[in-house]
Formats: sequence, structure tokens, C-alpha cells
Amino acid sequence: MTQEYVNDIADFISRYVTHMLGAGVHTSRVVRNSKRIGEALGTEVRIHTSQKTATLTVCEKGGSTMSTRVLDIPGFPISFEWNADLSALSWAAYDNDMSLEAIQHKFDELISKPKINPWFVLFMVGLANASFCRLFGGGVWAMLIVFTSTLVGFFTRQHLTRRGVNHYIVFIVSAFVASLCASSALSLGIESAEIALATSVLYLVPGVPLINGVIDITDGHIQIGISRLVNALMLIVCIAIGMSGTLMLVKDSLL
Amino acid sequence: MEIFWNSIAEYNAATWPYQLAFIAVAAVLTLVLWFRPCTWAKIATKVLMVLESLWIAFVYYMKFAATREHSSVMAIFWCLVAASWVYDLATHYSSFQKSGKYRPWGVIMILLPLVYPVISLLRGMTFPEMTTPMLPSAVALYMLGMLMAFNRKVNFFAFIFIMHWALLSMTKIVLFNIPEDLLLAAACLPAMFIFFSDAVDSGPSGGKPSRMAVKALILGIVLVIGAVWIYAYV
Repeated sequence: MTQEYVNDIADFISRYVTHMLGAGVHTSRVVRNSKRIGEALGTEVRIHTSQKTATLTVCEKGGSTMSTRVLDIPGFPISFEWNADLSALSWAAYDNDMSLEAIQHKFDELISKPKINPWFVLFMVGLANASFCRLFGGGVWAMLIVFTSTLVGFFTRQHLTRRGVNHYIVFIVSAFVASLCASSALSLGIESAEIALATSVLYLVPGVPLINGVIDITDGHIQIGISRLVNALMLIVCIAIGMSGTLMLVKDSLL
Repeated sequence: MEIFWNSIAEYNAATWPYQLAFIAVAAVLTLVLWFRPCTWAKIATKVLMVLESLWIAFVYYMKFAATREHSSVMAIFWCLVAASWVYDLATHYSSFQKSGKYRPWGVIMILLPLVYPVISLLRGMTFPEMTTPMLPSAVALYMLGMLMAFNRKVNFFAFIFIMHWALLSMTKIVLFNIPEDLLLAAACLPAMFIFFSDAVDSGPSGGKPSRMAVKALILGIVLVIGAVWIYAYV
């Protein structure tokens, strides 16, 4: 096995790892899949991960040729599709003895699939949050108010994110705007107005980092697990700050 | 309900000259934008939107409707509407240019706020205890009409806020006996479908699901909201 070939494998697995970690896949799955691809190509893969970077070494099996990469992990949107597709790719590479070129070709095909329409996401998030409101006991009017409040909040989030605003600030502003819109239900005397207010920010709850953090810790990846939980905690604090702004204005009649 | 109508009566009695001035300026700017569109008219219209929103927030809600419960919430909401127009002014988010589409619909919606007092008079109400074009829902309807008439590039922030307001106004129809607000609700649902469909069409192609499917989803949601309103009130 030549050094050049090991370098090529390391370059590909680097892309694979960064795409998986960036799309919100938990660490042990990324490590397992990367090792599987390495195994399929006749190499051993060792990975160290942290919140923002990863270190990867690819060694020829039974030989001394090796290649190491230090990777920045980009912030892709959470993608369950990449998670499933890229995991399946690692199995396909292992089961079918695919060549490096074939794996790379399939990988490029998978990551260049069309993106989900942002307007579709906007409306589905609105519907999901309205459903949460119903689950917590909200009536039809509360659901409708939560739906439009979520549209306002999520549109704000999409717009500010596109403009590159710091995501903690995005969370604070989005939570404030959505909860403030939902608080208008109070002035109408709707029975479940407080449920509408409480559920209007649920679309911001960082479920994936929370779950991944716990999975990482239980799988022994303590450092990145704690990093993910701290990150999720910061986002929850931001939601709380945004919502507190509304509650101070509305409930405590700050004006 | 009595507090609601009393506050409107006090507001109208005290501010009718200012209301007339706002309506006159709005009429002039709308005509200029329609027949001789120019940069100063576009900027002046956005400034007018900011002033109208702040007027509703501070003069209507904070002063005359202060006796109503949670009136400060509504004041903050209208400050957010004003903020959406300030943001528009700063970033040139919307262009206030005609696209050639939905022109008659836009004209009707701009004129609808003037129907508010007519409906009140037909209901047997008298000045000052009646609706005017400078009440929150009528102002929202005017903004919606301007967005519809000059829809080449729409201020979506303002539109979504107005959409939320239209939803609130539907609940007020029975609560405060103000059927005039049906105008806003009736105008908002088609506008919701039109604006979001146009936004889907002008977005990047090749996304998923297909544009047709997303528009079908939006239409479905609009129909469901309409059905809920009809079921609740008819």
C-alpha cells in the first residue's frame, strides 16, 4: 500500500467524518462507521473528536504506512438523511468491497442530494409547534396563535442565520419574538393562553445536541458529550432569556 | 366590551384631526407610488408605516386603550411591526414596486380600510363610537394592501406580523362585537397563499419536496385555517 493511497483514504475519511459530525451524528456512530470504511479499504482508523475539531490517523493494516489529519468540524444543518445515508454507505463499502473511487463517488452523490425547501420547513415547524400546543392542552385558537407565532419566530431565525448573526443572539431574538406574539393571546382572554405562551418557543429546544450529548457520555466519549451538553445548555439559557424578556414585559407589566 | 368601545370613542373624539392627516398622507403617497413611483415616495411610505405602527402602539394602546387588560402586550406587538418597517428602511428589504400581478386585488385591499366606518354606520353606530381607518386592524389591512399592490419584493417580516394580527382580529369579532374585522381576515387568507406561493416560486429550484407540493401544503393550511374560522363563527 503506497503512502499516496493511504493519504487518499485519509482525505476521504476526513470528509466523511466532518460531514457526519457537522450534521449532528453522535460520536460513537461516526467512529464506528469511519473504522468500518477504513477496514473495507484495508486500513485501521483511529479518531479523536472534540466539539470543533477532530484528529484522524489512518494506518495500513499490518504495515507502517500512515497518514494523520487534523480537521475542523463545519456547522452543517442537522440532517437525519445524511446520518442514515452515510451510515448505509459504510456498510455498503464493507459488504461489497467497494473501491475508494466508488465510495467517493457514492459519497459525493449522497451529499449533493437536493436540500429541503426552507418554506416547507417553516410551515412544518409551525404545524409541529401547534401540535405541541394541542398536546399540552391548548384549544384551537391557542393552536392557531402558536402556529403564526412560530412562523414569525422561525422566519426570524432563518433570516438572521442567513445573515450570519451569532446563533446565541438568534436564539434570544427568536424566542423573544415568538413568545411575544403568543402572549397576545392573553389580551383576548383565551382559556389556554398561557399554554400558547409556554409552547411557542418549543421549536427552539436543541433536542439533537441534548440526545447526542447523553449518548456520547454513555458511550465513553465524555469530553465531546459534555461539550455538546454545555452547548445545548447555552441554547436553553438563550431561550430562557428571550422568553424572560416577554414575561417581564407582559406578566410584570414592565411598560 | 363596554371598555373596548369606550376607549375607541375616546380615541376617535380626541384624535380625529390626526387620523384625517394620516389618511391624507397615506392617500397621497399611495397615488404617487402608483402613478409616479420614485425613491423618495418609497422611503416616505416606509416611514409612514413606521409612524402608523408607533401611533397605534403609543397613542391608541398606551394612552386610550390603557384601561384594557394587557394593552401593553398589543403596544409591544405594534412596536415590533414598526421595527419590521425600520429594518426594511435600513436594509431595503422590500422595493415597493409593482410586479403587474394581483393589481386589482391590491387596489381593493388598499381601499378596504375606508369601508370600516361605512360598516359601522350601516350597523347604526355614530361618531365617535365607531371604527375608523386608523384603528389597528384597518391599519394592518392598509399595510397588507400596500404589500399586495406593490409586491415585486415584499417585506415578509411585516407580512407575517400582519398575518398574526389578522388571526387575533378574528377572535375579537365575537369577543368585542366588531364584525368589521372580517375584512382583514377575509383579505389575509388569500394574501397568505399568494405571498408564500410567490416566495416558493422565487426560491432556489431543485429543492425537495417539489414547489408544487409545498404550495399544496400552504393551500391546505390556508383552507384549514379558513374552515376553523367559518366553523367557529357561522
